[in-house]
Parts: sequence; structure tokens; C-alpha cells
Amino acid sequence: MLTAKAWVQIIGNILSVRFESTSQKLILMFVFAGLTYGAAGLGAMLLMTLLANSQLGKDASAKHGISASESSRLGGFAIAIVVIVYIVGLSLISPYTPGPVRDEGLLYLWCAIFLCCLLGFAEDIKPDFLTPMLRLGTKFVVLGALFWLSPILIPVSVGIPFIDSLIALPVLGWALVTVFAVGFINALNMADGANGLVPGIALASFGVFFMEYGRPIDGALLFACTIFFIFNVISGWYFLGDTGSYGLGAILLGYGLQGVAEGHFSAGFMAALFCYPCIDFLVSVIRRWRAGRSPFSADNGHLHNRLHQFITLRVNSAVMANSFTGLIISGSTSGVVLLAYLMDVLPPESDLWYLFFVAEISLYLVSLKYLTSIQPKTRYADPK
Amino acid sequence: MRILVYFMVAIGLIWIGVLESASSSVKDFKRHANTEALESQRSIHRVIAVGFVGDRVVSKIVSNGRQTVLSKGNEKFLVPDPAVSIGSE
Repeated sequence: MLTAKAWVQIIGNILSVRFESTSQKLILMFVFAGLTYGAAGLGAMLLMTLLANSQLGKDASAKHGISASESSRLGGFAIAIVVIVYIVGLSLISPYTPGPVRDEGLLYLWCAIFLCCLLGFAEDIKPDFLTPMLRLGTKFVVLGALFWLSPILIPVSVGIPFIDSLIALPVLGWALVTVFAVGFINALNMADGANGLVPGIALASFGVFFMEYGRPIDGALLFACTIFFIFNVISGWYFLGDTGSYGLGAILLGYGLQGVAEGHFSAGFMAALFCYPCIDFLVSVIRRWRAGRSPFSADNGHLHNRLHQFITLRVNSAVMANSFTGLIISGSTSGVVLLAYLMDVLPPESDLWYLFFVAEISLYLVSLKYLTSIQPKTRYADPK
Repeated sequence: MRILVYFMVAIGLIWIGVLESASSSVKDFKRHANTEALESQRSIHRVIAVGFVGDRVVSKIVSNGRQTVLSKGNEKFLVPDPAVSIGSE
């Protein structure tokens, strides 16, 4: 029998297989893209490769905590182009009519998603172009207007009596959902710190939405996120950027709330699916507040920073250490929920999904406590 | 200049997938209008165009997309299929 230490060594050796040269990475990326999505996948991969090599939106490695190379922040922009090409093409040459054309509620939702993407895009092209307060205020205005115009997105019940009684009150319910929505988008942006982390969560979520509804938009998003996920995990040349994290955050939020409001999913299911960004956001805010810092100041005490530091000591390749960090976290949270959904462990509208959520929180806290105990300081400089 | 050609090639390749999805959808639309059962359309042609995962995605869009077609208003089926998806986008 192999000991735990031997298993760690074996996994470390497998992960240390280096795909460091550009041509090796490109071949691997194109092979995966071709196998999963054929000619369309190769096209999307080529598009992403071209955008990653453009000078626009380049980000120095030091700007992203665990990244070791200069990367592009245009990942979200690349996803948007692929989705737009697919949906516009499908609308032009098939009987498909996009939701915003026929449904007023979806039109408002997609206007909000577009404005969130635009807000992120301005930041990706010119960092600090907008002040943090202006960005936060704009998100409140955009999402507040969305829920005011589309109150159908506000869930009637989340399965917790106290919260249900609060969101049942007209203005208070609107205010609470708006605050939650802005917090969720910021949480997703904050969690975008390792290859395959947020893309993995988005991939699992669009997989669930697509299997539940079979909508072409979910299919297009699943396609674009899969290609981005392959690109991001293998090469590490791309970040989602603010366009991606704000845009994907707004899409996941909108469709998640719609699913809960229509009773197809329980709030517990969504909580389990999006556990990592939400819990990491809350824990980070509390940690900074206790340390006497601004709750929204950036630092490197996130679980993914700690886990990356742990993995880096055991894996030689910088990119693989980064990608493995993201894959472990997205796989053990949203990935497990996707698997449970595929295996019909529970119906998606069951409140018992809160048990999954509690288990994920426990896993998060235990992992963070253990990693903090063996690494009192992160290897990245925390802000003063 | 060369970069523009690459971009055009990339969009063209994505367009192959769009064409495959759209043609599958139109074929199914005609079959549904004639009240024929949905057939499995898996072929080498489709796998090359949209890959193994894409093949499943297109099949699901086609089988669940009938409500979308109905909601446009100008295409009419005599008997709406009750087994369509609950989503409508």
C-alpha cells in the first residue's frame, strides 16, 4: 500500500510534466478544442490566441497575485465575441429568435449585462480609468434599475423563513436583492485569481443551465467558456479581466435568480453552485475588517493564494501550480455540484442542497485554517 | 494584414459550427412541422463541424428548441410538443 506522502509525490510528478514551450501549449490547446468543439472550437481557440497576443489589455504579472507571466486581460472580451458571433449567426440563418427580442424582462437583463461588461471593459483597456466608488455606484444603479424594471427576477422564497419575510416586502426586497447582486458580481471578480477557477465555476454553471433548459444562449456560453477554460488552464496567458468577471457574474446572477424565481432551482442549489466566490468574499471582508483595513482593499490572503503557495512547493511548473489551484477549488465546489446534479442525487428545486452548501463552507474553513497555520504569511506581499 | 486574415479564418471556423447548428435546427423544424419524430443526426460531418461535446450540445438545442421556434409567432405547429424544454431562450 502506498502512503499518503507517496501519493502526493506521484501526483506532484504527474503535475510536474512541463508544457512550458509555446508550441507545446498551442498544440495541446488546439487538440482539446478540436476534440470538444470541432472546427468551431478551433476557430474560437484561434480567435482567443490572436487576442491574447495583441498588445491591448496586457497585464503585468505582478498585478495578479499568483500569476508568473504577463497575460492578457481580454478573456471576457474574447468570450463575448465568440458568443455574439454564434448567437447572431444562429439568429440570421435559423428560426431561433434571441430572448431579448421577444421578452421585455430578458431585454432588461441583457442591457444590464451589457452595461456591466462595458464597465469592466473600460477597466481592462485602461486600468483605474474609473474610481472604485464610481464602479460600485454604477453597478448599484444598473442592477437596481434591472430589479425595479424586472421584479419577476426577485425570488419569492429562498427556503429560509426570516429572509423570505424580508424579501416579501416590496422596497426592502428590491434593496436586498440589489445589494446581494452587486456583492455577487464583486465576489466573482475577487475570486478570479487562479487559472480555471472562475472559468471552471462558470463552466459548471452553464453546464447545469444548459442541461436544465437547453437554450441556445446557454449552449453558446458553454461553448465559449469551455474553450476559454482549456486556454486558461493550459497556457495561463489569459485572465477573464473585469469584462469577463463582471459580464459572467451578471449572466450567472440573472439566470440563477430567474431559475430560483421560476422554481426550477432552489436557492440552496445556487448557493452550493456559487459557494466559493460568495464565501471567499465574505471571509475576506471579515478578515480585513478584523485587521483594521478597508474591507474592500486587495490582499493575498484568499484560500486560492494559500493553496497555490502550498502547491508551488510540490509542483515544478509555475503554470501547472496556478492551474491546479483553480481546478481543485472549482472542481471541489461547483464541479461536485455539477456531478451531483448529473447523477440526480437531489432534485434541483430541493432545499436539501443547503447541506451541500454547509459542507462546502466547512471544507473552505478547515482548508483555510490548516493552510494559514502552516503559512502564517503568504509569499506575496500583502498591502500595508 | 496577416492578422486580419487569421481573424477571418477564426470567424469562418466558428461560422462552420453556426451553420451546422442552424441547419440541424432547420431540418428538425421541417421534420417537426410534418409531425415526424426527432432523429439522431450524429454524423462524421457534424462531429468535424462541432466536435464530440458540440454534437451533444447541438442535439440538445434542437430537441429543446421547439418552444423557441413557436414563440416567434410566425411559425405554427398544429400540435405543440409537450415534451419541450421549460426554458424558452
